[in-house]
Amino acid sequence: MKGRYEDENLTWIPILIVGIFLLPFVLKGLTYSYKYYLFVLNMAGIYIILTVGLDLLSGYTGLISLGHAAFLAIGSYTSAILVDQVGIPFVFSLFISPLIVGLFGFIIGFPALRITGMYLGLTTMGFGFIVKRLIIAFREWTQGAGGLEVSFPIIFGYTFKSDWDNYFLISAFAILAVVVSRRIGKSKIGRAFMAIRDSEQAAEASGVNLAKYKMLAFFISGIFAGLAGVLFAHTSHFISTDHFDILLSIYFIIMVLVGGASSIYGAVLGTLFIVLLDYLFVPEMKGWIQEFLNIEGGDIQSLLFGLIMFLFIIFQPTGLYGMWLKMRIYWKLFPFNPKKKFI
Amino acid sequence: MADLCINNIRMQFSGVVALDDVSLSVKESEIFSLIGSNGSGKSTLFNCINGFNRPQKGSILFGNDDLLKKKPHEIIRCGISRTFQNVQNIPFMTVLDNILLGAHHRIDPESTVKRWLSQKQRAAEEVMGLEILDFLGIVNYEQKYMAGQPYGIQKLTEIARALVGKPKLILMDEPAAGMNDQETYEIAKIISEIRDELGITVLVVEHDMSLVMSISDRVCVLDSGEVLALGKPEQVKTHPDVIRAFLGDSADA
Repeated sequence: MKGRYEDENLTWIPILIVGIFLLPFVLKGLTYSYKYYLFVLNMAGIYIILTVGLDLLSGYTGLISLGHAAFLAIGSYTSAILVDQVGIPFVFSLFISPLIVGLFGFIIGFPALRITGMYLGLTTMGFGFIVKRLIIAFREWTQGAGGLEVSFPIIFGYTFKSDWDNYFLISAFAILAVVVSRRIGKSKIGRAFMAIRDSEQAAEASGVNLAKYKMLAFFISGIFAGLAGVLFAHTSHFISTDHFDILLSIYFIIMVLVGGASSIYGAVLGTLFIVLLDYLFVPEMKGWIQEFLNIEGGDIQSLLFGLIMFLFIIFQPTGLYGMWLKMRIYWKLFPFNPKKKFI
Repeated sequence: MADLCINNIRMQFSGVVALDDVSLSVKESEIFSLIGSNGSGKSTLFNCINGFNRPQKGSILFGNDDLLKKKPHEIIRCGISRTFQNVQNIPFMTVLDNILLGAHHRIDPESTVKRWLSQKQRAAEEVMGLEILDFLGIVNYEQKYMAGQPYGIQKLTEIARALVGKPKLILMDEPAAGMNDQETYEIAKIISEIRDELGITVLVVEHDMSLVMSISDRVCVLDSGEVLALGKPEQVKTHPDVIRAFLGDSADA
């Protein structure tokens, strides 16, 4: 018998990957401010690594986490301390730090065996506060609230100094994260995760060990967040507790939801959407709107961001990925569906 | 021999005695039906076998395994799978993935890792599900998402998910609930085929009497947590206690 995936068209994937690596050259040719765009894209890339892991936890398994900024923080500080103070090469830290964060995820997974939904959200949020306090408390390692300077990433003697260099490092890992998380999501593990979300009874009757798989979800999610943390610390050269706010955790959940929960591509699209909105479109629109309304100052940026989010959730509850699927069906049926809406 | 032996089970939910001293045994490759009014303890008995409920007294043996010592997720490794009264499918997974969920214990970590690396392994995994789909005759549905599928397909998917784990005994909780006559007839045919072609023992809870009487080898009537009658369908149908319990006392009339 024939497998289901044999006739799936996958040629667009290598084209996309080549496109990702050519993008900086295109940007450089098009505009003078390409460095800022690369900075924004690097940020998006780091967040993508985290949100695909968060999608496996919150989207697939249905365990809401409002503490992912804390996982990112642990990854960042662990790597910064290991590389700069203990003296481990960056390449090893790339493997060790995510594992350490994964173990933290494992610990946070314990309460998740008993509590679900909003209560788990609150518990993980509490974890976020604790981590922030602890980082400030361990002053001799982390320099407290003052922040910590971090060295450049060095891989096999090559130092990644600028946003241009970092772009290639980050996008390589982002592609790896997307591929790995998709493989996990499409295998027996992903099926068990989704079964836990939708029907714990069906999952148990099918032989899924609930405790083991819930812990595994936290562990995997922690590893992704840890990897994002390592890259974040070394590519931004400076980390402080201010960055790893509760608001950042909420942004991560929004990224997953806007993209469409339980789809890895959705998480990628959602992250790109939010980051580009936050760093590029809203600042562009801000000036225009201030001129139009004839007002000065005020926090127009957050207002606009909130408004767009609000409208998006109301009109596109299936997220960006759902939007894409609907568009694809529209073009498939194209001339024969005049009454159907485009999106 | 893999017989299911239920000995003197007593299950009490605080004040309510759901099962009181129930004993019965299901022999290998027979179709055994449990009937009874609502609240008579049929589903509770299923949940006890499945490990969702822990009876206070008694024992449940399947072959050499003591099921009361197993956790719910270990039951399927003993060779017992089940379907649910209200369909428990995963809506945002395809029909094939829903079925492959049941093959969870058949796929070892090694083949999962191999599957991540090669397409061939992936196809090998899917063949497990496609075989069962073929057996049930719903092959064209495998790529469709579970959400929005007709009720009959959802019910069949549940049965397929229970079958793909290669069980020796399958527990079916109201397989024909909410189905029309045509679909009920098909379910009856499928249940007989599961026993005849795959050699799987079937323990079924059902309210549709024509279905129960036509396919069962033996029938057990439960009433308020106690076994009222047990035997061949014809015997049970004419059993005085059963008639008294379900139709009223004919002696007074």
